[in-house]
Formats: sequence, structure tokens, C-alpha cells
Amino acid sequence: MPANLDNLAGLVHTPLFGVLLTLASYRFALWIYGRSNSLPIFHPFLVASIPVIIVLPLVNVDYEEYRDQTQIIAFLLGPATVALAWPLYRQLHTVRSVLTPIVIATILGAFISAAIAVGLAWWLGAPAEVVGSLAPKSITTPIAVEVVKSTGGYVSLAAGAVAITGIVGALSAGPIFRLLKVTDHRVKGFALGLVAHAIGTARAFEYGEKAGAFAGLALGLCGLVTAIALPWLWPWVAQYL
Amino acid sequence: MIDGLLILLLFQFFGEVIIRLTGIPLPASVVGMVLLLLALLLEAPFTQRVAPAAGALIKHISLLIFPLGVGIVLQWHRYEEYALALGVAVVLGTLLSMIVVTLMLKKLLGGKHQEATGSHRGDDHAG
Repeated sequence: MPANLDNLAGLVHTPLFGVLLTLASYRFALWIYGRSNSLPIFHPFLVASIPVIIVLPLVNVDYEEYRDQTQIIAFLLGPATVALAWPLYRQLHTVRSVLTPIVIATILGAFISAAIAVGLAWWLGAPAEVVGSLAPKSITTPIAVEVVKSTGGYVSLAAGAVAITGIVGALSAGPIFRLLKVTDHRVKGFALGLVAHAIGTARAFEYGEKAGAFAGLALGLCGLVTAIALPWLWPWVAQYL
Repeated sequence: MIDGLLILLLFQFFGEVIIRLTGIPLPASVVGMVLLLLALLLEAPFTQRVAPAAGALIKHISLLIFPLGVGIVLQWHRYEEYALALGVAVVLGTLLSMIVVTLMLKKLLGGKHQEATGSHRGDDHAG
């Protein structure tokens, strides 16, 4: 009999357990998010984390083991990043007329967002790995967790910083646009997509299709520009950290 | 769905091949994304079939990401020393970025917008 119980307890150390826990937590988070009318603070990224954070210590599975168990989910991040070409391609068609200012805005905006985060963290005495984790915080998570490897940062920290950036950006957008008297929906959408990536893009769609399209474009271009520039620029920045 | 998944994995594979041949310091999936974007713009055959798989993956991107974010809490001992720097850089940094980027966009895109309204007004006069 005890042997059977041991067998049962061993179940928590299988990929099946990790994947099931992950999927169930995500399903729960989607339900909450729907009930809250898509409020950014109830974003599935945050809510889905809670059951996992509670359950893993209870069943004595540490984070490294959980990462191993859920490798099949992490693997899909690669094709998901490639998939971003599709919305980018669709948005390029809708905004062809203002493409030049948009490309300039993307390059400047991507640089500004990264520089502000890196500058603040460095000024407050964070070590190089932590500063490096924050550099890609304004870009969409699948790209950010790849790029962070080139800046020697922590994947977990980068993923969390990206999510919180998206939530803060989406929540602050309304007051900031009122304060700065922004009426142009293209500006609203583009700013949201550039700074607050996918979460900002979801918020932008509440201003309408046009704002949403500009946000989607900004998200794609900003991720692309940062992914291309950061691995080349980082060794130079790192000298000063 | 299967066609789409096949296209995505194939372009990720192309990205991987390019990275291994050239040694450029980019993620293979980002190179794959650029290649797929080019293929779509050049209207390469079958590439439009990527839509269902791409849509599904992007829609549920949070599912793929949040297991990584869980590490912040479960490995908090790694980060707690720098909690202040992290909090300020992420929250204040995002607010600052939103303000600066919005002002910059107003300047860059605002001119064109006014031009457009100006010409509309001209049309009204003509009418």
C-alpha cells in the first residue's frame, strides 16, 4: 500500500503535472480576465502565475524542475515569435502613407524606452545582469526573452518586467493622453504599442481600429528594431555598467 | 493549422541555419520572423496559409510566457536586493517612456495630420 502512495506522490514530478497545472492556471486566468472586462491589472500573465506560485511549493517542486516539466510550452515561443510576421505584414498595408515618420519614430522610441529603463536601474545601483534584464522591457515578450540572452540578463526577470511595463503603460495611457492633449488616434495607438507592446495594443483597440492597427505595427517594428540593435550595442553599453 | 505550423517551424529553421552560418548575434526566431515577413511581402506561394496557426499562437502568447514570469517570485532571493531599482526602473521608467514617446509622436505624426485637415478644409472651400 505505501508503495502505491509513493507512486502517486511521484506524479507531481512528471511533465504531465507541470503542463496540466500551467494550462489549468491559464484557463482560470482567462475566465477572471473575461469577468473583469479585460482590465489590465487582471491580465492573464499575472493571474495565471498565482495558482502556480501557490501549488509548486506545496508539492515540493522547485522552479528549475517546473521549467523542465513545461519545456514543451516554452518551445512554442520560437514559432510564436516567427508568427509575429503575420500581423506585422497585415499592418504594413494599412499605414503605408506614413511609413517614413513611423520608422523614424520606432527607432527613436525603442531607443528612448530602453535607455530610460537601463539608465534608471543603473543609477539606482542594480548590477549588470539586472540592468541587462530590463533593456528589452518595452518589446513583446517572446522577442524579449530571446534578446535578453544577448544582454546577459535573467529570462524570468525580463518576462516579468515586460508584463509590468505593459500593465503600467496600458493603465497610465488614458491620463497621460488627457494631460498631453492627444486627440490623434494614430499617436495614441502608436505610443501604446511602442511602450506597452501587446497589452498596450489590446488597450489601443478600445480607441478603435485605427489606433489598434498603429499599436500592432509599433509592437512589431519596436520588437524588430530592438532585437536587431540590442545584441550589437549591448557589449558597448556593458563596459560602463 | 498544420500548414501554418509547418511554415512557422520552417522559417524558424531557416533562421537557425542563417545564424549558424554567419554567427550574427540575433535570436533565430527573430531572423525567422524577418524572413517570413519578406516572403509575405514578396507574395511567396502558400505563405498566406500561416494565418490560423499564427493567430492562435499570438492570441495565447500569455500561456507561453507566464511560466517564465513565475520565476521572479519563486527565485525572489536572487532579486530582492535590487527591488527598489527594479520597481523604479519598471514603473517610473514606463511612465516616463509613455510621456516622452507620446510627445515625440505628436511632433512626428502631428504635422501630417494638420496637413490632411488643411487640405480637407481647402476642399470644403472649393465646394
